[in-house]
Amino acid sequence: MSVTKRKKKMEKFDFVSNVIITLFAVLNLFPLYWLFTSSLKNSSDVVKMPPDWWPKSITFSNYVDIFQNQPALRWTFNSIYVSGATTILVIVIGSMAAYAFSKINFKFSNLIYIIFVSSLMIPKEIMIVPLFRIVQNFDMVNAYGGMIWPNVAGAFGVFLLKGFFDTTPNALREAARIDGASEWRTFTRIMLPIVKPGIGALFILNFVQVWNDYLWQLVVGQEKLMKTLMVGTATLMQDLNPNFAYKMAGATVAAIPMLIIFILFQRYFTSGITAGAVKE
Amino acid sequence: MKLRRNIYAKENMTGYLFILPQMLVFLLFLVYPIFEGIRLSMYRINYQSETFVGFDNYLTLFHDPVFFKALVNTVVFVVFIVILTVGFALFVASAIFDKNARYVSFIRGSYYIPVMVSMVVMSMVWSFLLNPANGLISYFARDMGLGAVNLLGNPKTVMPVIIFVTFATNVGQAIILYIAAMIGVPKDLFEAAEVDGASRWQVILKILIPSVKPTTVYITIINIIAVLKIFVVIQLLTGGGPNNASVTLMYYLYNNAFKYNQLGVASAVGVIMFVITLLLSVPQLKSMLQDK
Repeated sequence: MSVTKRKKKMEKFDFVSNVIITLFAVLNLFPLYWLFTSSLKNSSDVVKMPPDWWPKSITFSNYVDIFQNQPALRWTFNSIYVSGATTILVIVIGSMAAYAFSKINFKFSNLIYIIFVSSLMIPKEIMIVPLFRIVQNFDMVNAYGGMIWPNVAGAFGVFLLKGFFDTTPNALREAARIDGASEWRTFTRIMLPIVKPGIGALFILNFVQVWNDYLWQLVVGQEKLMKTLMVGTATLMQDLNPNFAYKMAGATVAAIPMLIIFILFQRYFTSGITAGAVKE
Repeated sequence: MKLRRNIYAKENMTGYLFILPQMLVFLLFLVYPIFEGIRLSMYRINYQSETFVGFDNYLTLFHDPVFFKALVNTVVFVVFIVILTVGFALFVASAIFDKNARYVSFIRGSYYIPVMVSMVVMSMVWSFLLNPANGLISYFARDMGLGAVNLLGNPKTVMPVIIFVTFATNVGQAIILYIAAMIGVPKDLFEAAEVDGASRWQVILKILIPSVKPTTVYITIINIIAVLKIFVVIQLLTGGGPNNASVTLMYYLYNNAFKYNQLGVASAVGVIMFVITLLLSVPQLKSMLQDK
């Protein structure tokens, strides 16, 4: 009797928790709703008190402003280019190293791997001064290269993909080698196709990470035309234009690509983020 | 014998060639900057001229009250944001992990979307919501008779507000990690406990939370390190103000480097942050390497 009674009470606790969680989830999305609806208002409606919960008259003029008076299209291109190029480099270079650490027996491989993994915890931002001077020496300030290369240096790709290579059977590689395939051929034709899910997860995670990178790209892309979408959008906050709807339209433009990616690839996020974490 | 040695040599060679590209970018853009940062922290840098000053830059820091404010604020952010994130994510994940799959993915998505759209976008919305003249939150405060409130302009409220905004934006990642870990806990553990008459609360406390301990360690450490370099929300919401009430180490470093042109001092801040990061990441590295 007392057991079932207690159980019922706990179920009530469970129910209440889930109500709170759902409420908070909806509340957590409210700022994005407010961002989106504000961007569709005109400059006086957006600051009207009491507020219109849904715009009385929808206007796209803020978006027109963003794309006409600001190089938002160029910023978007910059972001796509920098995120895409960084991610492709991370995958090419990282998969080669991950394969070597997982399958090839070479001297000091463990030690080198430990050093690579140790660097994962160090954010590049804290070394921003020396890093900036290096990029200056390469003449890569206000250039895509300066935004791309420092983001390739991190060993996250190696760490993530090594986990995937480790699950492939060694016999596969040995068989290919006995058949006379070179190491490179074995790697590109046999092993890479097997770890495709890992590459997919890495692609999305890395793309999003570079897309949302801020501080480093703020420092490297100083000219207006060389800013990425995130950095460019943030400059709207300091813009002399006092119209909040216009700033919100800029933030919406910056948010939409990531929302689309999230909706399309939700599955990869869950698997990718957890693959990078501790294995239970 | 000789043949065998040749095979080994060849295997070594192939291995090194495969890691060579990663090694080069790693050395150039990660390892070298660390050593260069340590060196620069002992120099006074004026455009092209560098003068060795020993530990003067560090002494300058220790005499600067703003540096201490930045250090204290950063520690406060780390402690509060990490505790809130781990606590709330545990609460959410343990309440929903065994529910209907569509419900789980709805909750997961709702909390993760702010992470996706990034701190820049979320900071912009919050700065609008919190704007003292025409923000929604200020409107409600006036409506409820609290008078004119300027949460970001008040040194007493600015820290809690930033803690909340950062926590609410980023908690989704911890929730995803916990849900995945909890779904992986073997079901028979719960069943055995239920047969013994354990309540849900007891199951969560005694079985679920201990089982996901490695995830807790991981989430704690990645969040400590992420909050340690907190920057975007400070730059876009407060600019470190009012009167340095919300300045952080990363913001202080950035201003010294790119506004006041104090590259040596900025490098010294970087070195201090590097040492802190290194010490904090030891437990995580240990567990990551033990897996292998």
